[in-house]
Amino acid sequence: MKRDHRDSRATVTARQNNSKPEYSSPPSSALNGKAKIWEDDQDGYSAGGDMDELLAVLGYKVRSDDMADVAEKLEQLEMVMGSAQEDGISQLSDTVHYNPSDLSGWVQSMLSELNTGDDMPSIDDPLLAPAESSSITSMSFSNSQRSRVFSDDSEYDLRAIPGVAAYPPAYSPSDSESTRKRLKTSIGSDSNGSSSGAVSDPTRPRVLVDSQETGVRLVHTLMACAEAVQQENLKLADALVKHVGLLAASQTGAMRKVATYFAEALARRIYRIYPQDCLDSSYSDILEMHFYETCPYLKFAHFTANQAILEAFATASRVHVIDFGLKQGMQWPALMQALALRPGGPPAFRLTGIGPPQPDNTDALQQVGWKLAQLAETIGVEFEFRGFVASSLADLTPSMLDIRPSEGEVVAVNSVFELHRLLARPGAVDKVLSSIKAMKPKIVTIVEQEANHNGPVFLDRFTEALHYYSNLFDSLEGSSGPSQDLVMSEVYLGRQICNVMACEGGDRVERHETLSQWRGRMDSAGFDPVHLGSNAFKQASMLLALFAGGDGYRVEENNGSLMLGWHTRPLIATSAWQLASATE
Amino acid sequence: MHQNQNTSSQDSKEKRPKFFINDHIDILVEILKRLDGPSLGVAACVCHLWSTVARNDTIWEHLCFRHVSSPPPCSVRPVVVALGGYKRLYRVCMRPVLSRLSDSEMVKRVWTRDEVQLSLSLFCVDYYERSGRLGAGGGGDASASSLMFLCNTVNV
Repeated sequence: MKRDHRDSRATVTARQNNSKPEYSSPPSSALNGKAKIWEDDQDGYSAGGDMDELLAVLGYKVRSDDMADVAEKLEQLEMVMGSAQEDGISQLSDTVHYNPSDLSGWVQSMLSELNTGDDMPSIDDPLLAPAESSSITSMSFSNSQRSRVFSDDSEYDLRAIPGVAAYPPAYSPSDSESTRKRLKTSIGSDSNGSSSGAVSDPTRPRVLVDSQETGVRLVHTLMACAEAVQQENLKLADALVKHVGLLAASQTGAMRKVATYFAEALARRIYRIYPQDCLDSSYSDILEMHFYETCPYLKFAHFTANQAILEAFATASRVHVIDFGLKQGMQWPALMQALALRPGGPPAFRLTGIGPPQPDNTDALQQVGWKLAQLAETIGVEFEFRGFVASSLADLTPSMLDIRPSEGEVVAVNSVFELHRLLARPGAVDKVLSSIKAMKPKIVTIVEQEANHNGPVFLDRFTEALHYYSNLFDSLEGSSGPSQDLVMSEVYLGRQICNVMACEGGDRVERHETLSQWRGRMDSAGFDPVHLGSNAFKQASMLLALFAGGDGYRVEENNGSLMLGWHTRPLIATSAWQLASATE
Repeated sequence: MHQNQNTSSQDSKEKRPKFFINDHIDILVEILKRLDGPSLGVAACVCHLWSTVARNDTIWEHLCFRHVSSPPPCSVRPVVVALGGYKRLYRVCMRPVLSRLSDSEMVKRVWTRDEVQLSLSLFCVDYYERSGRLGAGGGGDASASSLMFLCNTVNV
């Protein structure tokens, strides 16, 4: 068996099992691309001390000292193959050759074959697509040039992931290997050492490696790691997380960043190094500012909420806005300007801002209030500000807020990405909603992430979060701004990812829920929806059109609420509410 | 100004009054009011006088609202002036907004109220950010970063 020939070269001993099936190879054109062995890699990620690690991840076993030699031989091979093709040699024999994962051995054998002969060597070893078994069985293999086994537009298309993760931890290694082999043989031949003869021409599979495949493998490995964590198989999870790190290095752009952040979050969960809860709110404010500048999500949130508030304030002469998360107060200048230019003149504007306690006891809220007051004076709006420091919104009572119904004040409550934090403590969100009702607001505007990151099962949360943040990072990639802004925005999102994945209990505050879930909650709490109207939609669309690289952003209307998404995936949702059966 | 009818003698030529536009600032202003943004910028480079005149905010106000279908309410002016003036409004907000939202900058089309409103809102945000920066002593950049997305070129 030719396998012996290979054995003499390969130093990887871990998996010299002879039960590997052998398949005839694809014709020459496939050899122009890199061939990939799926199985070999799986055992190999921990094997081979002197194997080049990065190539190992891609499925090649090359000794580090052999690298230069292999490179040279590959060049020779390419030249020879090129000339061989021109000669019109397209026929391939069915003979078995070598395991291409042992790159140096394979190249050597190829060279010797080509140099001697007429026949093009064929590669028999398992050159199959990675274990997207579902896609293999439905794929029609052809002998055409460069057919991609896995043709898929989106690296984040999680439909590609089979039902069972690629590294099913429950099985023993030999079983899992045979399972994988079985999955891979589209031709249905047995996994135990069937000879090459069983595989014939028409179903000759072919594989081309491109970075999308490593991207898919990356996703697979992440999913497998999450499943391992879910099943408390921390040793396996540990190994997989390291593997993810290596795979991520072979990617570029958004995929790489997402994978890195998720790997870090998983690692934290595995090693139980939980991140400190919100070290410094001024630091997170800075990060959020960069996020505000880089991409339209926060601007969209502010503009749409402001439009709803503006319409609710249409005829009022005294207005009071209660902002559940004041931060830098970036939402309010635009509202104040719109109020200043209101036909009939501006109302008296009162703002109550709520914020978390500062570690150094500086009164950040007052500073923001002062800045807003300056702006108000500049544009001629009567302004009053009050700040409340609260570590949780549930600590507030309506009486603290000094609502003044006697003055005919119209109240609006605004919450941008604040309500989901309350879900970490049982009962908190109900308490807050009833407090809101007691404030008797004319309108309540809520902006939340459109994703369910609060499910009870870790793996589901993981899948959902991976999809969500992949889209989010993807949208950031197109943004053309100073790169520092981009990096800070990514750090901002990375902290969210860490919180969703690595924290539990009261620490996990990023408990995002979808619009339909919030709708249900608001409904049962006694609120009726308010439709956001076409003005808000127009403003939002115009705003998005201004963003460079913003072709992918989409504004959608959803039963009166507005959603901003990237391509087909909605990412944040703005909704407006009023008290049920409000008589006015 | 009447011209001397006797054109043959050199004396009459010397006595013929010449028309210098710089002597007539009001006419200059009227002319500049009708220019578009880039031309106004070019005009401001002609000489010191023109530069001073071109800085006149009413000229930029005309530019900003020239193509709006209905004239803006009178309450707009004090707000815009307080936030930095029409020249800044045009440069920082209106021109980028309009060039992004319309096919070609040269197309003189009616600016909708929504576009004006959006520009004004962004202008206000810009002012707020700048005031914050100066207050913190961070300073440096004249334009706030929240409007950086407007300054970046769009891949058409």
